[in-house]
Amino acid sequence: MYGTQEVLPPDIAERLKFHRVTRSLRRPSRVFTDTSDFTAIDYGDIIAVDGRYFLVIAYTREGRFGVDEQIKPWVPRVENLATGETKIIKLVFHETFDITLGSFTIPCYRSPEKEARVLELVRGHPHFMQGETVLDEAGNPVRIIDIVNGSRLDKVIHRNSTTHQDYFTRQLPPILEQFLECLQAISFLHAHGFRHGDIRRDHIFVERETGLFKWIDFDYDFYLPEKPFALDLFELGNILIYLSARGNYYPRDIMNDPDMGPEVLETIVPGDFSLLSKNRIVNLKKLFPVIPTRLNNIFLHFSQGTEVFYETVDELYDDLKAVLPLLGSAQKTGSQK
Amino acid sequence: MDWRKILVAVDNTPTSEKALRYAGAIVGHLPGVSLYLLHIYPEPPPDYYRSGRTLDEYKKENERQAQEIFDKAAAVLNSCGIDDQAITSECRMAIQKTISQTILDIQVRGGYGTVVVGKRGVSKAEEFLFGSISNALVHHSKDIAIWVVG
Repeated sequence: MYGTQEVLPPDIAERLKFHRVTRSLRRPSRVFTDTSDFTAIDYGDIIAVDGRYFLVIAYTREGRFGVDEQIKPWVPRVENLATGETKIIKLVFHETFDITLGSFTIPCYRSPEKEARVLELVRGHPHFMQGETVLDEAGNPVRIIDIVNGSRLDKVIHRNSTTHQDYFTRQLPPILEQFLECLQAISFLHAHGFRHGDIRRDHIFVERETGLFKWIDFDYDFYLPEKPFALDLFELGNILIYLSARGNYYPRDIMNDPDMGPEVLETIVPGDFSLLSKNRIVNLKKLFPVIPTRLNNIFLHFSQGTEVFYETVDELYDDLKAVLPLLGSAQKTGSQK
Repeated sequence: MDWRKILVAVDNTPTSEKALRYAGAIVGHLPGVSLYLLHIYPEPPPDYYRSGRTLDEYKKENERQAQEIFDKAAAVLNSCGIDDQAITSECRMAIQKTISQTILDIQVRGGYGTVVVGKRGVSKAEEFLFGSISNALVHHSKDIAIWVVG
């Protein structure tokens, strides 16, 4: 449901008239007070909620399941026509789908209501994206999100093309210090009964100005009644392993790497692979001897060979915090700790 | 804790029935034994309410299924020589807790000295992701006997 620009206050209508977006538009902007059908809202339209007027200036994109980046029509990038501030708006989109991990299927849900509750919980927390939720005319919880000015963590770690040893000993320690803060942030969510729900390496943003790591996107949830936080925990392990190797390693990567090749691949046994991503190698010490044994032992908790699991994020946090001082010394000794 | 106050965690799986038969065979003719059949079910999935269904409906459906489980369980225990007077039962939803945590909460509050549970036999990956109630009970219980029947 939408109205015409006549419903806009004069100052907003004036700004809209001269806005770069509407100048290039071949039709008048429409004013949406009910966002139920987000597919009807287009570039140049206005979302009017809570007495504020947000002009749609772009759409966000996201890659997933190996598919290239796709537009997310329920997540427009907007400009507040009164203040000129740019925000991201997340409109209500419910979906239910299964994700497959190894041979298992886990029911997943996109829940705007859950994200609204998490946003409220983490208000002011330095390691979470910030935002507020307002209701549109139809009662849909519309989330107005502050944009994190910065880059995805997985892009940041590939900025310098140094050797792995140099990356590991010089760049990784401060990254893992920040990652520890991310672990604490997730522990905070879990303590309040929430899951992040979509922990991925591109869901940590590194804020340009402060260097702080910030979690984004909390609208996914999953249903694992007996292990409610297991998937979050597994994905945290995946990020830690990715950060430490500066990538994921599969048998073909070992074969193709001139520093590894068949000699290293021959040492890999079934227990070295990920517990749930069957082809990914998590026993990284076999690939990178510079990795301290105690850090590698953390990775092995997520391997097929493990006899012990982490039950909580705090356990992972404690282990990682204890081994961080070893990373600096790995540089000097070549590491066997 | 009195070991003769026995909590049996039951559901509609063959392993649960196996555990029940085992418990019945062990304590069937012992005096002073009481068996408390407990069926715990999880909260509904996050999208449950979107289809217009209510929590009340969800609970009623689970309670109906639990009654069937209890009736079958009582028949098994009777066949082991256990009187109906020695058998009680309860069905509850695990609220903001896992099933294993809820079982242990009830065990502590009720002073049950023995907990009997079936074991499915899950892989490592399955245990990590979906959990194992029997393992959780073994790890987190105190001062009681846990009978894990596989």
